[in-house]
Amino acid sequence: MKQHTQTMQLTIGHLYPDLLNLYGDRGNIACLMKRCQWRGIGASTIEFESEDTVDFKKLDIVLLGGGSDREQILVCRKLKKIQADFKTYVEDNGVVLAVCGGYQLLGKYYETREGTIEGLNLVDLYTKQGKDRLIDNIVLQSPLCSMPVVGFENHGGRTFINNNRPLGKVLYGSGNDGESGYEGVIYKNVIGTYLHGPLLPKNPQLCDYLIQKALERKYGSLKLPPLDDSQEQEANTYMVQRLIK
Amino acid sequence: MNIRRILAVWTAKAACGICRHMGRQGVTWAGKLALMIYPPILQEMAGEIQKKIFIVCGTNGKTTTNNLLCAALESEGETVICNRTGSNMLNGVAAAFVLAADIRGRICADYACIEVDEASTRHIFPRFHPDYMVLTNLFRDQLDRYGEIDITMDILKEVIRSAPHMELIVNGDDALSACLAMECQNPWITYGISEPVTDASDDKEMREGRFCRKCGARLVYRFYHYSQLGDYACPQCSFARPPIDYDAREVQVGGQLSFAVGRERIVANYRGFYNVYNILAAYAAGKHAGLTLKNFNRMLKDFHPENGRMEQFRIQNTGIILNLAKNPAGFNQNISAVMADQTQKDLIIVINDNDQDGTDVSWLWDVDFDRFASEQIHSITVSGIRCQDMRLRLKYADIPSYLEGDVENAILARLTDGCGNLYVLVNYTALFSTRNILKKLEEIRP
Repeated sequence: MKQHTQTMQLTIGHLYPDLLNLYGDRGNIACLMKRCQWRGIGASTIEFESEDTVDFKKLDIVLLGGGSDREQILVCRKLKKIQADFKTYVEDNGVVLAVCGGYQLLGKYYETREGTIEGLNLVDLYTKQGKDRLIDNIVLQSPLCSMPVVGFENHGGRTFINNNRPLGKVLYGSGNDGESGYEGVIYKNVIGTYLHGPLLPKNPQLCDYLIQKALERKYGSLKLPPLDDSQEQEANTYMVQRLIK
Repeated sequence: MNIRRILAVWTAKAACGICRHMGRQGVTWAGKLALMIYPPILQEMAGEIQKKIFIVCGTNGKTTTNNLLCAALESEGETVICNRTGSNMLNGVAAAFVLAADIRGRICADYACIEVDEASTRHIFPRFHPDYMVLTNLFRDQLDRYGEIDITMDILKEVIRSAPHMELIVNGDDALSACLAMECQNPWITYGISEPVTDASDDKEMREGRFCRKCGARLVYRFYHYSQLGDYACPQCSFARPPIDYDAREVQVGGQLSFAVGRERIVANYRGFYNVYNILAAYAAGKHAGLTLKNFNRMLKDFHPENGRMEQFRIQNTGIILNLAKNPAGFNQNISAVMADQTQKDLIIVINDNDQDGTDVSWLWDVDFDRFASEQIHSITVSGIRCQDMRLRLKYADIPSYLEGDVENAILARLTDGCGNLYVLVNYTALFSTRNILKKLEEIRP
């Protein structure tokens, strides 16, 4: 049954922007918000700082960003308190976008030279610190969209996703561990990835995928009205053509 | 005199001359050649400075602060070696000395004022130890090149500790800089602004180091100036903003800047609140080194930055201001300076992603471009290698823009249909080329 998006409302929860805010995460929030609003879907964002309690029942999309190693350890202590509720949200098909440090925190642990940071254990994956940082532009082909996915990666960790589906196949760049040829993870409605840049503005289909999943979970199946994405496509195509000859 | 040293000086001067002739800067190439021909040239020449060596470090304000300090010393009759153009890595620093040498390879200078890229301090300090280091601030900048701020702080800590007699002149309003000074055993003094000047309480700026680096508790701020600069204290441990030795009072911003420090009243014909810090840092450094700085105000009056820092041009009937904006903290300050001019204006924003700019442009999303959604803005044109990303950034702030990848075409178009008041904001590698275009147009279209 076709529904009118005008009456719909999504709430985005941005977890700990005071600690995890390295790579333009605000761009992902702005993209989710605007692409809802431009379609007449009500959208609001709640920023949870590290002392706040998080009520996952009120959230439709959760964003977990990247931070410095020092800050990630601080976050890790806070996350313990919300682990059970976060797990319930994920298993109940709650939509999550976790980027860089946030991606690593989804897993069981992040083993660094200084010690092991325990993760949220939401997805069956783990990370080990590699020798060098993997820093460059990156291009993926993802089953979630027809356009290639473009972004920037900058990570010292090598992430191993066990039997989970990757977000995409690496066409340019390093990806999860620099060797497997794959990047990111898809688990239920969770996307974890090293791509920032930020991820969503130049990959509008990925943004719409998250919005679609969040709306379906709340209102049942529907079709998102299209937007004029010519500027997004041009920016995406420019990078793809520059990187892949 | 060592013949290789003389040869190095001649070669560097020739290389620089050839580059200038071809319209390129050539300073870093000259320095590189000199170091190849005579590797100990930098330590030798630095050792021949007759009085003191200052270096200026910090994310933003290095070039302006360093050039102001140099001009302040010169106005007291001192001779100074300075890397004016802002070439602040090893080769550029070497070039500043080598190009200042005479034809027999000798240098004769009272002081050296050298700005040094934070990561490059590791290559500079083994060659000479400065007497003073000015630390302007620490913001996020080019995460792909420098990594997190923590890495920059570790590098600075290491080099500061390697020069235990070097005295620090730090921005006490920056918790990160102050903390760094506290963690080293070097003598240090502070400058800062102890009263709130602008209303920055509800802006959405990125603030670094919000958590106490000693105990991890969230710092409490009495007020912010911009970004994380302000008056802070840790509610849990003893960490707090240190007492300020050079405190700017009665700060006024607008068409010109003025403030009182000690018994002096400083007046400068510049824009941009951040320039209060640059002027204050130069003043504190000069005073702390024992100069009277009696000619400081006269120096400020004659100080015309010719390096793309709020540099003014006039082409036909259009007044143009060119300014460097290369990271979120700097760009947000630029936006404040642009919006302080309440008349109609056209804007050109040039974003490149060459190695020296940082190849990661995600920082654009940490800048508060929303503030350009204003009646005062006649038009915005995006240009440079990553103009597409810049256009998208504005689109998601509901601000339309023209896209013109070629900077000269963008300028020509706004000279034709603009409102006569043009701001050109550029990041690092776009600076020199854009400045050349504006210089050229100013000559052929007076």
